[in-house]
Amino acid sequence: MPLTRFDTPGNLRDAPPGSPFYDAWHRKIDGLIDNGNVGSGGVGEIYNPARKDVDVIAERSLVWMGFPRRVVFDHRDDRPEAFRVADLRTEEDREKQEEYLEWRAIRQDGKITKVTFTTETPEYWKLLFEEEPDTVVCLYRNLVGDPGVVKEDLVDSAGVYDKHNPWNTTRGIVHLNVISPLDNTLDAAVRLAVGSAGLRNPHSLDNYELQENTSQPPTSADPRVTMDGNTLVRRGLSVTLREPVGLYIAGWDDTGWTKPDGSPVGNYWCVVRGRSGAALRVEYEVPKEEGFVVGDIRIGGRPIEFGGQIAEHVTVMIGGIAGTPRP
Amino acid sequence: MAAKSTDTKNMAGEVVNILEHFPIAEQAPPSKVSFSATGAHFGEVVPDAEEEPVFDRAARKGIQGNIIPGFRKDYQYFLFYELGEISAAKRWLQWLAPLITSMDDALAFVRSYRALRDRLGSKDVPLKATWLNIAFSCGAIAKLVSPEDAEAFGDQSFRQGLAERSGFLGDPTAEKAEGNRQNWVVGGPGKEADVLVIVAADDPADLAAWVRKIRGKEDEHGLKLLFEQQGEALPGPLRGHEHFGFKDGVSQPGVRGRASAAPTDFITPRYLTDDRARLFAKPGQPLIWPGEFLLGERRQNPEDLYASADPAGNFPKWAARGSYLVCRRLRQDVRAFWGFAAQQAAALGVPPEKLASMLVGRWPSGAPILRVSAADNPVLGADEMANNHFLFDDDTRPSALRPMPGYPGDAHPQAGADVLGQVCPHFAHIRKVNPRDSTTDLGKTGDTLLRAILRRGIAFGPPVVGVKKPRPKLWKQERGLMFVSYQSSIEDQFEFLVRRWSNSALQPNVGGHDPVIGQHEAYGSRERFIDFPHGRKPARIAINAEWVIPTGGGYFFSPPIEAIAEVLGI
Repeated sequence: MPLTRFDTPGNLRDAPPGSPFYDAWHRKIDGLIDNGNVGSGGVGEIYNPARKDVDVIAERSLVWMGFPRRVVFDHRDDRPEAFRVADLRTEEDREKQEEYLEWRAIRQDGKITKVTFTTETPEYWKLLFEEEPDTVVCLYRNLVGDPGVVKEDLVDSAGVYDKHNPWNTTRGIVHLNVISPLDNTLDAAVRLAVGSAGLRNPHSLDNYELQENTSQPPTSADPRVTMDGNTLVRRGLSVTLREPVGLYIAGWDDTGWTKPDGSPVGNYWCVVRGRSGAALRVEYEVPKEEGFVVGDIRIGGRPIEFGGQIAEHVTVMIGGIAGTPRP
Repeated sequence: MAAKSTDTKNMAGEVVNILEHFPIAEQAPPSKVSFSATGAHFGEVVPDAEEEPVFDRAARKGIQGNIIPGFRKDYQYFLFYELGEISAAKRWLQWLAPLITSMDDALAFVRSYRALRDRLGSKDVPLKATWLNIAFSCGAIAKLVSPEDAEAFGDQSFRQGLAERSGFLGDPTAEKAEGNRQNWVVGGPGKEADVLVIVAADDPADLAAWVRKIRGKEDEHGLKLLFEQQGEALPGPLRGHEHFGFKDGVSQPGVRGRASAAPTDFITPRYLTDDRARLFAKPGQPLIWPGEFLLGERRQNPEDLYASADPAGNFPKWAARGSYLVCRRLRQDVRAFWGFAAQQAAALGVPPEKLASMLVGRWPSGAPILRVSAADNPVLGADEMANNHFLFDDDTRPSALRPMPGYPGDAHPQAGADVLGQVCPHFAHIRKVNPRDSTTDLGKTGDTLLRAILRRGIAFGPPVVGVKKPRPKLWKQERGLMFVSYQSSIEDQFEFLVRRWSNSALQPNVGGHDPVIGQHEAYGSRERFIDFPHGRKPARIAINAEWVIPTGGGYFFSPPIEAIAEVLGI
């Protein structure tokens, strides 16, 4: 099996063929994985598939809830308040949406008409801007639906791509931008996975002990990735991230969602980037011919008032691979 | 004669019908218990552990007994009532309140039973009792107390009721489908019960007498019986099994707490003596703070396996130490389940009993397939110190147990790590609804402790598994499970387990839907699937039949007993 050349998330081809962006992206992922505890040895390890080959025995998708678990438990006895809080946005970012899924709800007359979800990482857009700035401007115009986007909108005073630009904060959503308390970046996600081998603790023989012996944030994503990665390494396996490395929307469940007449909803999901099962950007919007909007839909009898009510039923994923070292 | 869908080949190559020759039904039931399980000894104090709450006499007298410790009687009866004139209903409650079985009553009986069983070395214990519990819908509370009190219950699902949440739970939305709420025998729109009365007895004659006694009060108090259902444990070797033939109710959480100020008077007996005694009552039974089941008690800390968290406060004051009750009447199509197992087993070259056991995660005896993957082991299945002792992701280590006279110890093979789900698949029912040590879509292992429910269900209808040459009339009779669970949040516990895990192909771990109880409906299709372990790329098997069909039920609240006479009945 040839060694891996890292492709873009979702095998996106935003840049033209032959663009130096693709080499740059490969180097980016190669560096992210190598900056962890690659080759930690011992009973198992995280490996860099660009530098080492293994006999793959299984693929494993690590999934988690898109709605922030921390917010659920901050409002354990008041779920409507949790939804309200998670939808609040400051001028700078979507601060509560820390599970590598961010969303933006559009409203008309107080009712939600469309919710856009993304798992795209700022690193991708920053690198793409560095290599293909005009392409990024064009993509922004399409994604936020405004031809008024110009290059100057997307950079800071030093001319560097700004992930907190207006079209990715107050005026739209293109990719993840949360920086506090946990970063929604590919770097952070890869560090979770790659660093999972470093959690190894001679006193942790199972996940109960691992939870007790390590400090895990109150999110779904972080312990999911680190503890699962560590479990595979404890089994003596060689573990890495599955190509194309990225954060994805694995699926959604709209069972029990009903139209205003009480009948089940149709499929109103639209994968804008990526593919079904490994989507990067998804929009939820009711076709005009249906005669109602997202805010008229009920989930289990409860009207949709916040984008977070949908996010609760969206599942996020990072792919993993486990194998055994080749002799 | 045409081959039946459940005909399979045995090891000798003979064609036999798996239902008529069900192995576990052909074995003699154990007449003796193999060890002294509890006696009057309830465990040891774990050093430096957070002190567990004391359920003093007043508390024990107030908590209904089916919540803790659970009725677990072989004969039970469910009466679903609609209330009529409210003052008459209140008089009925005044009459009924003194008859309601408390935690104090049931716990004393259970302890006496266990002590006697241990002395006799036999399960044939000459003790019997007849018990009664009651629960109310949100609508009934609004009528009996006030709309404001009903609205004060924080659980939004309870306030909405089961019928409104039916589609969310994956029930069929097609109007003609049997499982559609419109077709339920009770609990559908316009047929929602105000009150659920559960009667339980060791003796069927006692049960019948109590049911007559309660029913005799209906006219006088304006009660309309919407539906009644007798539940009964399966007979002989299948006692404690559900209708597909598998042992049920093996895994139950252990509720933390003490019955008195005595440091070791635990309401859930403790058996472990090693470091894991901090988390487990007996092997595989996690200890969980009582607020997960009783309103107003300290709850499980979401970030700490051992610590408690503040109680919930989103309920009327009088409801403290009550519990939400979920009842689902689930019809089981035994032929459809075993027909699927037989068909897929033939296609995959796996014995049908093994394939069916992989769907469940246990062999029919209750033995976990992670501990014995080749064939059933009824001795392991009957060993309550061993049949629930296994992890999914790591090798399971033996637990150190306190001495139990007559118990030889757990000498069965320990479970090996199965993080990739190759022995007990990720779709297996027991792995779906209780991922144990695995991480989940909600992150850390400890989050799973917040999803636990107290299951108090019982089978209904005549068994067909193990019946030789069953007559067509027998096949036509309904059979299934009266599912009953208690929890402090319907949304975060019962509904979470059903909606988020059983009904999902992705959660808690990718691998397919729960093939036993899972339901899924999307844009008119009800197809489910499982990813059967098959090397690096599992074999995807579609499931287009349904063998567990909802046919009724309701969301209720089981109040503290004193509130029945002093609040609801006033």
